[in-house]
Amino acid sequence: MASLARRRATDYTVKAISVGFAALSLVLLAWILWTLVARGLPALGPHVFTKITAPPGAGGGLLNAIVGSLIQIGVALIIGTPIGLMCGTFLAENGRGTQVGNAVRFVNDVLLSAPSILIGLFVYQILVVPFGGFSGWAGAIALAIIIIPVVVRTTEDMLNLVPIGLREAAFALGAPQWKVVTFITWRAGRAGIVTGILLAIARAAGETAPLLFTSLGNNGWSLSLDAPMASLPIAIYQYAASPFEDWVALAWAGALIITVGVLTLNILSRLVLAKMK
Amino acid sequence: MNFAPETSIDIASAVNRATAPSAEAKLKVEKLNFFYGDNHALKNINFEIPEKRVTAMIGPSGCGKSTLLRIFNRMYQLYPGQRAEGKILFDGADLLSKDLDSTVVRSRIGMVFQKPTPFPMSIYDNIAFGVRLHERLSKAQMDERVEWCLRKAAIWEETKDRLHTSALGMSGGQQQRLCIARTIAVRPEVILLDEPTSALDPISTSKIEDLIDELKQEFTIVIVTHNMQQAARCADITSFFYLGELIEVAASNEIFTNPREARTRDYITGRFG
Repeated sequence: MASLARRRATDYTVKAISVGFAALSLVLLAWILWTLVARGLPALGPHVFTKITAPPGAGGGLLNAIVGSLIQIGVALIIGTPIGLMCGTFLAENGRGTQVGNAVRFVNDVLLSAPSILIGLFVYQILVVPFGGFSGWAGAIALAIIIIPVVVRTTEDMLNLVPIGLREAAFALGAPQWKVVTFITWRAGRAGIVTGILLAIARAAGETAPLLFTSLGNNGWSLSLDAPMASLPIAIYQYAASPFEDWVALAWAGALIITVGVLTLNILSRLVLAKMK
Repeated sequence: MNFAPETSIDIASAVNRATAPSAEAKLKVEKLNFFYGDNHALKNINFEIPEKRVTAMIGPSGCGKSTLLRIFNRMYQLYPGQRAEGKILFDGADLLSKDLDSTVVRSRIGMVFQKPTPFPMSIYDNIAFGVRLHERLSKAQMDERVEWCLRKAAIWEETKDRLHTSALGMSGGQQQRLCIARTIAVRPEVILLDEPTSALDPISTSKIEDLIDELKQEFTIVIVTHNMQQAARCADITSFFYLGELIEVAASNEIFTNPREARTRDYITGRFG
């Protein structure tokens, strides 16, 4: 009986420790979110969305940073999604068990876990230095390089979940491979693929490091991809480190906007996935 | 390694005894050997599939019957490492020859699989997908074709009011008949059925068996089955495969009542396999 009591005690202790640490991590998350909302919400106002950067005390907003982020992420998506989609499709449809496939998959995994500042430096070396300046293009391409491996990975994983039998059934009707892929496997895996793209956007939206060396940031109003371009993460970086109260408030507002945006994307992707299932 | 003796298999006379008038060979397998990598899966198969008849292939798992079926529509070519040697004459042309385009072969020799494989789209589009691969039809012609093949597959009454809803919402038996309809819609000459009822309940199974009986008026049918009653009920000709060899081919009523080979008798009486 003594041993039963001891087992119960062990069980209780381990359970208590697990629950305790789970609670701790949730508390940390809640704390971050609470701080973000508590500081960001009061700082939000129409001026945040309608005014551009202004000197401290002049009532500036984040319009240029929000628009800059949207433009760079949009261009990054236009560049990155097709490349990621095609590469992921190649890996799932033609690259299974082949040497080329394994090599591409390995390189992609490395890229997926590469520190993002490295990607910023890479684009700085190949685009900013030779073309003589920071630009929205450089920022967008750096973000595209962040997006590509995420899309490759999720596309491949999702297409691997499509049963072989479905492909064979399409082949058995006399379909050439490109039609099997576009009309059957993509369609069957589209929920997962769309989710992957949404998650890639979420990841790119919060990246600061790749933009520091590429699009730099811009305190003025500019829609040109050839010039330095503002973005939310960089605006937060600038404002948060400043000694001015209203700039710091704007940084909190920007952080809240990014968080809500990323959260919305995550929830959206889950909804899409659930609906397709 | 013992190869099945070629001379012991007299298909023409078996067919004649089974079903007069005599049927022409639609597919003629000559000295076929098949390899999965180093694994010699089919050994010197010589075999004829008569036109507009139902030919069943039976045998224990791994005997090569499904392998042979998948050679007929060149499914094996999707997988590197799988290799066929020999000849399969299809209306006189060699099916294994590189000159024949796989998509054309597959449009003329359709296949229905063990598990129902509806595409993730509407019932109508499931059928239209295959048809559009090979023909350009007007909307009216396509509507007509969809109705035609659904009627042929005995599923029109159940689907006519929900043609534009997802095929994934149908029952397993309905999905399988849709897959048969989809195959018929391309208007093939031969239909290959790979254990088409093994995932279905008895009622759906009997519907599909009735359907097979109906379809042989127009199509040449080859069916792989583990269910010997099914072979006896549906097939005009039954062939028995064992360990990659074709052991015996005969009219179904003959092979199930009076098999010539001891191994066939052992298998159909349930002594092994």
